[in-house]
Amino acid sequence: MNQKYLQYEDKTSIFRTLWAKPSKTSSADLIHLFSDCIRAASSRTKEYLLFRDPENKFHPSPSTLSEIFLMTYVQHSSLLNLSDTFNCTAMTHEQRILLGAHWVWAVLDQPSKNPRIQIAVHVFHLPERTEDNLEDLSLDIYSDIMRMAGMAVVERTQAERMVEFCSSIGRDCYALFLFFGRQSDEGNIYGLLSNNLQAAVGKCVRIDQVFIDHFFKGAKCFATSSGMMQTLVGKEGDDPLTMLVKFT
Amino acid sequence: MELYGKMAATQDNKQKESSDQNFDYMFKLLIIGNSSVGKTSFLFRYADDTFTSAFVSTVGIDFKVKTVYKSDKRIKLQIWDTAGQERYRTITTAYYRGAMGFILMYDITNEESFAAVQDWATQIKTYSWDNAQVILAGNKCDMDEERIVSVDSGRLLAEQLGFEYFETSAKDNINVKQTFERLVDIICDKMSDTLEADPAVSTGTPTTRLSDNTTPPQQSDCSC
Repeated sequence: MNQKYLQYEDKTSIFRTLWAKPSKTSSADLIHLFSDCIRAASSRTKEYLLFRDPENKFHPSPSTLSEIFLMTYVQHSSLLNLSDTFNCTAMTHEQRILLGAHWVWAVLDQPSKNPRIQIAVHVFHLPERTEDNLEDLSLDIYSDIMRMAGMAVVERTQAERMVEFCSSIGRDCYALFLFFGRQSDEGNIYGLLSNNLQAAVGKCVRIDQVFIDHFFKGAKCFATSSGMMQTLVGKEGDDPLTMLVKFT
Repeated sequence: MELYGKMAATQDNKQKESSDQNFDYMFKLLIIGNSSVGKTSFLFRYADDTFTSAFVSTVGIDFKVKTVYKSDKRIKLQIWDTAGQERYRTITTAYYRGAMGFILMYDITNEESFAAVQDWATQIKTYSWDNAQVILAGNKCDMDEERIVSVDSGRLLAEQLGFEYFETSAKDNINVKQTFERLVDIICDKMSDTLEADPAVSTGTPTTRLSDNTTPPQQSDCSC
């Protein structure tokens, strides 16, 4: 159904371009533009993922890699006027601790500009790039904040915090765990998108990088970024959805 | 590189302030109200003395920490900035618990945000505790030409709800600091009243209403 719609859109694209109101972005445009932005951001980031200092002294930090991805995405999104219909909100330091997300993408309803679909993103890096105690440090800060706020401290990983945040909003808020390189493929960017990980929280499993990486074991087929967006935009109802995506 | 260094240092300082345990009292405050009334701008003006007219809708919840001094006491304010959109209601109301004060904000140029004040007040009653203090703030008072809600309407509603009232502007920095200072004052007054009403409180016994399970222990013996 969705594919047919897209084919129709392609055939009529010239007329659409001629007569379309400049401020309106159709679903097909959105998918296409988002995909363009992601392609640019992923390619740029990939260059740095593959970078090897001949003297082995300089290593881009995880936060630098995330910023390179985001900056490239934001730059393209702004150039393509995408941000009115699909915005990107980088989380503050405090929000990263509280909600476990690094940034949140949102498809906005018009004219209200309220989010219709949201994707909360958390970036995982190769273990050799990250500090050993980062998860513990985040939990310590989180516990301090919660204690100070007079709220119950529940030990949750950053991934679990993000999954809970998404589930508190509803099935139209997806958790996307981006892997900037995986052990078997250090130069590419992969992702697990789901609105159903809440089912695993608190059930004797710890949702963290290792747990999420298991989803990729044996996987041979991956959706593209445009395939991912097409699925989200075309999805109806509150059914659970989990998909593996390759962004580069 | 220099810029990155400065950014990292700023972030470290902020982290230090939010986890700094050196204070006499800690008050948890929340800013609530409809989307786009200016809650985040209000907090940025108070905490960082900055303002930008660009609208960025808050995702979920955020907070800032600011330390103020009152009668030689260090009072640490943990100020929670909540998203006004309905879809975040589950997460935002979870943070009402243990809050000692609220700034309930509407936009004087937006009738809908004013009409929603009663609902927000009900939310406070439902999810917070009885002793929470509330100030009603009519924000964007710099936009008088586009005013829809009169000062009198705001004041009258505040009286009916039993709240104090300010008209504010984060943009022009009108009554921002005063709103927070007044909220701190009335929280302190309320605590002092409770101490006088129940002398057992001053001995630190856990019978006080202000030190029940919903508030952090640092707040139990406040007499500022």
